[in-house]
Amino acid sequence: MRFLTDNPASEPTSVLYTRCTVDLESGCFLMEDVPCRNLEDVLGGFGRSFQMLAERDIQSAYVEENPLIINVGLLTGSHAMTGMRTYFSGYSPIKQSKKGLPAAMWSAGSGKFGAKLKWTGLDELVIENRSEQPVYIVIRETGDRPEVTLKPADHLLGMTTHGKIMALQEQYDDAHFAAIGPAGENWQNVYAGAVALSTVNQLKSKQDKVRFAGRGGMGSLMGYKNVLAMVAQSSDKLGRTPEPIKKANINVIKGGGSARLQPIKRGGGGGTWAAYDVLQAFHAVPVNNFRPQGNDLPERLFRTKVEQQYEIKSEACYRCGITCHNNIHERKADGSPGAFLAKFDYEPLNLLGTNLGLHEAAQVAALIHLCDNYGMDAITTGVTVSYVLSYNQRHPEKPLFNGASFGDYDKIHDLVKCTGLGQLPEIGHGVKRLSESTGETDYAYHVKGLEIAAYQPETNPGYCWAIAGGHMSMGTYGMLAREGKTDLDSWVAAITRDKLQIVGFDMIGLCKFFDIVNGIGTDMVVDCLAAEHGLKVTREELQAAVKRAFLRGLTLEIRQGYGKEEYCLPAEVTANPNHNITLPDLTTPEFLAELEKRVWEIFDREMQELI
Amino acid sequence: MKITVKLYAVLQVGRYREKELDFPVETKVGAVVNSLDLPSEHLDILLVNGRHVDREFLLQDGDVLSLLPMVEGG
Repeated sequence: MRFLTDNPASEPTSVLYTRCTVDLESGCFLMEDVPCRNLEDVLGGFGRSFQMLAERDIQSAYVEENPLIINVGLLTGSHAMTGMRTYFSGYSPIKQSKKGLPAAMWSAGSGKFGAKLKWTGLDELVIENRSEQPVYIVIRETGDRPEVTLKPADHLLGMTTHGKIMALQEQYDDAHFAAIGPAGENWQNVYAGAVALSTVNQLKSKQDKVRFAGRGGMGSLMGYKNVLAMVAQSSDKLGRTPEPIKKANINVIKGGGSARLQPIKRGGGGGTWAAYDVLQAFHAVPVNNFRPQGNDLPERLFRTKVEQQYEIKSEACYRCGITCHNNIHERKADGSPGAFLAKFDYEPLNLLGTNLGLHEAAQVAALIHLCDNYGMDAITTGVTVSYVLSYNQRHPEKPLFNGASFGDYDKIHDLVKCTGLGQLPEIGHGVKRLSESTGETDYAYHVKGLEIAAYQPETNPGYCWAIAGGHMSMGTYGMLAREGKTDLDSWVAAITRDKLQIVGFDMIGLCKFFDIVNGIGTDMVVDCLAAEHGLKVTREELQAAVKRAFLRGLTLEIRQGYGKEEYCLPAEVTANPNHNITLPDLTTPEFLAELEKRVWEIFDREMQELI
Repeated sequence: MKITVKLYAVLQVGRYREKELDFPVETKVGAVVNSLDLPSEHLDILLVNGRHVDREFLLQDGDVLSLLPMVEGG
């Protein structure tokens, strides 16, 4: 980026970002310096990409006019800790309104690809049209401008995400990689393809410790375009960390904000896995397709149980001191770590484990590993498979597919495997379409066509207004369990003001764990922007930019045909209340109706003002 | 009065899962928490008999005080 001002909020056009548009049909490239329209453009990520998507009239995800936008944020590749994010945006194959129009979507991932991309000098890559032949894209740092080239990728076809990255690493030094797997290659039959992003740990150890931009099927869109991988090749650019950023980084690690995510041996809480223990206290850990039973089954995947049998290595993203990765390894006879099995985060652990009736760590690890290798979103896959199991439980006389039932690991494994290979499009197209085909939609756990995360919807009416997935684009998911908030005023304020700020991290290039409670409108971020780029931005300006970006996302949903009746929780929540959950019941029809009314009063007015 | 204290997740490390403890009548939640010497950066959710309370809440004989860390997803 080039900064011709130090005040990007009032003079955004004096900030220019470097964009390359690749036309896969003609093979032409357009490299340009683009002036920013507003602070959202300057920050980057979906704040910028959604403005481009809003300019397109897209009726189906798989059309040539649907671009795949790969960009970074202002602090990607910076000295600020967690500044590793890459964003993938486009109209989603999986998230679709009832009118049949695709929703705009973004997905974010760490790994070192984003930093390398930024260091080539490129801020954004827009992929137009599609290629007849499989290709991969190489973005290289040169003396002056970044260089972008297309290469034949036939040799990568059919490989896992890890296999592609390992193959490309043989060819490219000092580079990092983004790759789809068989799921993305089978884009017609798998709408939840993810994009894998290489990590330093992966390239060094040769173990498949990959990061993912998983949600919304951006890997499937990449597969549709016949782009199997991307290479970002550049030298590393980080020197001595400026003092204000060093202070912010120390605050991230020691200030309490990330304490819960640090390894237990360092006095931390052990990563997102700890959510199991906390939510189980309320019997709010999803079990058997989001129907907690009020028993202790989820405890079998507690960390304390798993570490009796397996080695848990606490590892981190590049230059990140949070160290939130819990990588599960077999334990050798001498007690040292053996083969790598999988990374245990709360979402995949639950949705491919307890919520499928599976309680053995090794089985869950194998399913997570399968999804990672095929490049398939664990949330969409897990929720769709749990629907199948729930259907089969209700219809033992006429089950779906192989008749899998909760806890039947072998059959569940077959379902996941066949889905990833494109052999089960009914599952690969997600739970909304599958449930519509069976006619039993009440227990399909999605909101607006995107499968929900591993937080019971009974505890989170905010899901309805998340604009890019169940929990990472609306931070209300812990509000009832954590804060005990049951009053309408608190929920309205959270949804319309405070908790939507979480999406700021999907603009600026930082991971949410930088400061998940407060968002990016903080002195820490203000100080980082000043020290890294010499920019003067206030907390209020950052918060306002995030709010505008969120409202654009909401506006875009409505333009793509979403009716307000689609902003609702899965019907089973109110039709068949689950009294095993010991938290106060927020999902009475009266509460939800009043919440809806008051939230829309605010959002309708604000969207009108934005337009 | 007798209070049952339950600790969850990382708060159990090096401590216990559940213990019955004696406190004077009219003890507040905050006083119990202070007496336990828990890591403040982890303690987040305070429940008495399953309901969220703050540190000023007055405990009654036989109450179950549950102490939990913050829940965060990913």
